[in-house]
Amino acid sequence: MVRVKSRYLLCEVNVSESRDLLLLDDRAVAGAVRSAVARMHGDYGAALCSIRLSVKYLNVHNGMVFLRFPKSCYQLLWSALPFITNIESRGQQIPCFLNCLHVGGTIRTCQKFLIRYNTQQLQRILPKCKNAAEKDQVCQEILNCLPTRGSKPTYEGGSEFEDERE
Amino acid sequence: CAAMMQGQTSDWKIAGPCTFHRVVLKNASPHHYMKVHLELEDNSNRLSAVELKHFIIAGLKNLHGEVGAALNFDVLKYDEGSLTALLRVHSSGLVKLWSSLTLLGSYQNQSCAFRVLQVSPFLLALTGNSRELQLH
Repeated sequence: MVRVKSRYLLCEVNVSESRDLLLLDDRAVAGAVRSAVARMHGDYGAALCSIRLSVKYLNVHNGMVFLRFPKSCYQLLWSALPFITNIESRGQQIPCFLNCLHVGGTIRTCQKFLIRYNTQQLQRILPKCKNAAEKDQVCQEILNCLPTRGSKPTYEGGSEFEDERE
Repeated sequence: CAAMMQGQTSDWKIAGPCTFHRVVLKNASPHHYMKVHLELEDNSNRLSAVELKHFIIAGLKNLHGEVGAALNFDVLKYDEGSLTALLRVHSSGLVKLWSSLTLLGSYQNQSCAFRVLQVSPFLLALTGNSRELQLH
């Protein structure tokens, strides 16, 4: 069997104010990537963007983005991502930068990585808890987000995770 | 024999005139040299070496963006009369430079074209052109 191969980049959108993230949508992120690539790599890069670039997933609560690039030219497109300094969405300029966390060949491997990454983040905030109730809640979250065989992984726990961090 | 004269890493153990000799480069040469000719629609228009380089960089920036504009290349020699230039470029940037030269279509609102006459990793090879040899 032959299939069309892609690369999936798991990126984190870093903004100074977390409520700006709620303004984001797929099209705004894709537009920002396109314009950055067009600036850095000219018409050639802009043409590569039009092949199979898409934003597969966007979590507006913690700013996780899955970007899909064609495998043949993902390094060229990837090299333009650090030059994104703001994203225009709904008439507003949101200053931000993209931090690439993982590069995978399938969405599945990226999802696995994201679950592990979020678990690590929860473990990092565990010592900062103020009281026992909070601690219990975080422990419960860690147990919840472990990928279990057969049942559906609950990696969409972004909103709770966000609350804990603050 | 022309290949033999270019060969830098070849061992010079050829006996007799013009036997077949294979030249193998162990490591790719760092630079490539291009001899290009600019064809303008209006022949009275002359441009200087600086203008030529600016024109090429503008073409690079158009096609390959800021990364392309940052490409290192030199105009080694430029003849204003015949509009022929000798360019030196890193081998990694040869494809980018060549493609942008090909797609440069207009200079100051008049159509123009770059003719790439010769490309070689050795500067010495550009001293003569085998296509212009007069054989009797």
